[in-house]
Amino acid sequence: MKKRGVGVGLSFYGTGYGNGFPDVSNAEVQLMEDGKIAVFVGATEVGQGAKTAMTQIGAETLNIDYKDIIFIHEDTSLMPDSGTAAATRQTYNTGNAIKIACENFNEKIKEAAQKVLELNSTAGMMVKDGEAFLAMFPQKKISYKELSNIYKDDIIKAKGSFTAQTVKMDEETGQGAPYWPYTFNACMVLVEVDTNTGRVELLKSVFAQDVGKAVNPNLVEGQMDGGFAMSLGYTLFEDLNLDKGKMKNNRFSKYLIPTAMDMIDVENIIIEDPESTAPYGAKGIGEPTTIPVGPAILNAIYDAIGVRVTHLPVTPERLMKAIRESEKSEVI
Amino acid sequence: MKLNTVGKSIIRVDSYSKVTGKALYPQDIYLENMLYAKTLRSELAHAYIDIDTSEAEKIEGVVKIFTHKDVHYNQHGVVLKDHNVFCGEKVRRIGDPIAFVVGESEEACINGMKAIKVNYNEIEGVFDPIEAMKEDSPKVHGDSNIIFHYKLRKGDVEQAFKKCAVIAENTYSTHMQEHVFLQPEAGLSYVDEDGTIVVVVATQYPHYDREEIAKTLNIEEDKVRIINTNIGGAFGAREDITMQIHLALASKTLNRPVKVIFDREESFLAHSKRHPMVMKYKTGADKDGYILAMEAEIIGDSGSYCSWAINVLRKAGVHSTGPYIIPNVKVDSYAVYTNNPFTGAMRGFGATQVPNAAEQQMDILAEKLGISPLEIRQKNIFRQGSTTATGQVLLEGVPLDRCLDEITNQYDAFLELKEFGNIEVEEESI
Repeated sequence: MKKRGVGVGLSFYGTGYGNGFPDVSNAEVQLMEDGKIAVFVGATEVGQGAKTAMTQIGAETLNIDYKDIIFIHEDTSLMPDSGTAAATRQTYNTGNAIKIACENFNEKIKEAAQKVLELNSTAGMMVKDGEAFLAMFPQKKISYKELSNIYKDDIIKAKGSFTAQTVKMDEETGQGAPYWPYTFNACMVLVEVDTNTGRVELLKSVFAQDVGKAVNPNLVEGQMDGGFAMSLGYTLFEDLNLDKGKMKNNRFSKYLIPTAMDMIDVENIIIEDPESTAPYGAKGIGEPTTIPVGPAILNAIYDAIGVRVTHLPVTPERLMKAIRESEKSEVI
Repeated sequence: MKLNTVGKSIIRVDSYSKVTGKALYPQDIYLENMLYAKTLRSELAHAYIDIDTSEAEKIEGVVKIFTHKDVHYNQHGVVLKDHNVFCGEKVRRIGDPIAFVVGESEEACINGMKAIKVNYNEIEGVFDPIEAMKEDSPKVHGDSNIIFHYKLRKGDVEQAFKKCAVIAENTYSTHMQEHVFLQPEAGLSYVDEDGTIVVVVATQYPHYDREEIAKTLNIEEDKVRIINTNIGGAFGAREDITMQIHLALASKTLNRPVKVIFDREESFLAHSKRHPMVMKYKTGADKDGYILAMEAEIIGDSGSYCSWAINVLRKAGVHSTGPYIIPNVKVDSYAVYTNNPFTGAMRGFGATQVPNAAEQQMDILAEKLGISPLEIRQKNIFRQGSTTATGQVLLEGVPLDRCLDEITNQYDAFLELKEFGNIEVEEESI
């Protein structure tokens, strides 16, 4: 018999290394010969979209097209240390470092342009689309390419650094402010449980994720879909089948992960509530998107069949065992 | 604030190279005069070993076999330096690296690996973290398997439970999860014209890799350069060193490019996994549905090495309440060594496991109180100005109520689909 159930899961997630650990990101920005702007930063693109999101943050601050940014993040001999691409910290921490470096760069550009344009101060100067100009008399302007030619031997560059504030916790009580900021989410799923086979199928889901500010909404949705699929696999399929330290399921013929056939069209809802300490309000969401789905599935299974599964993964074998045990205890 | 670029769904700047196959991954890169290498790994989970490479060195095409004897400082690790670059005395898990066979071809490396004699003196292992916490258990490192104990104390749980109208008590457990990123580990190294050792890999933290290589090989950090290619997924599994030090050591010694490619099975062996956790929970609420107290014991299996276990189990403790205001909390979380595969960072990092317990506890309490799962959450969630169990005041950016509202709005529609489905299926079964 097939039975349906609805379940919800909520979660919160603290960003960064936490616990007072120095969480530092650095970035450097430099004017190139062709007037484009290079951003040097140790932010690894692991597939999460760092390169795109951080190029957007840079372009926003520099007030230029994102295509005029050269993002250099592959070589330790060129780029400063921006910490690890983990802990959901790159958009927030390194995004902040890039924003600060770009703001400093804008000031450097204004100073350089002021001298060439023979203005008596940088007050009232603006930068836009690769030009520095005086807002009230825009005829007084110079392009970045021209500036680059003039300042050949004295390259225009700037640095930025951001350190996240967290507090080390008390060893006896665990009290403290270990992470900042936190992100929040809520997920609801509808499942169908086959009580003859123990198979659980997802039918529908709605997933609301707090992002602070979405730097790139499509990339946010990509993370939400990916997080959902990973959690689905964790909860229902994936099992290393450990036996005295040996992974018996060490290849994809045995270690089953969800495929497109198992994935559903999740209704992703992006909740924006800009965070004042974040670059343009953006918080990281890489990890939290994987959290509330599993608990929602577990609660939905209970709602469907009245059996609470307390051990993961909920493979068909384990679910059938749980069903049989609950039938036995009901008889008693 | 009017924004020009932030907030727009521009196409990923790296998408074209990836979808057209132009993006380079470490496995795609070949250099002239290049050598290949293979890693010999432990077949037993807990054993004293000694190694004889003399016969293997003579195999045709084998250039050199590196072992613990070739490493200046044979310790590395992200939090504790408890990994050996190569195990020389003791292995602690299946898959521990013992030797690095460098040869003119992959075939020569495989033949060389087969000819290495490893004498294993097997010792009793421990595979259950609860067993591992006992005093008389076999010890993986040092005198105790308990790596870390996080204590969270707020209010008075004993008194608070007396005031509870309903209490839920249950033990939950989660299992080990593999990251299954798309591109298994591969890397290559060479020595630059100026003597800099260049390691081309796919890593999450290139500067940290550089530091670990410099320290273990006793060279200046600026004499090491990490080139981070396209990655192909990580999810936490590329935080710990796998082949980076081995590659750097081989190129430094032989002054030739060296390349390593892991297949999927070796990838499973080489990197960390998600921490399994055993989570004993007791949660109580008053008759109006407000949570008064929570007590939890969380035991995390760190496997054979610490990796990020301290941070993971601390994060599990901090997130163990779920996003709810609970005035009285007592949590003990432990990170424990076993001879299982080592566990480390994985997307969610300790905050993924605990909600499987905490969120089921919420539903159990709701059922006992006769209210809906949404109602109990509405009553207890963090809002702006709420204080967490660690005493942190959430000053801003707490739109959990809005997240909950979004799903609450659709609850009736979901319930309708549920009822509709149940009836339909019952008819079918007749």
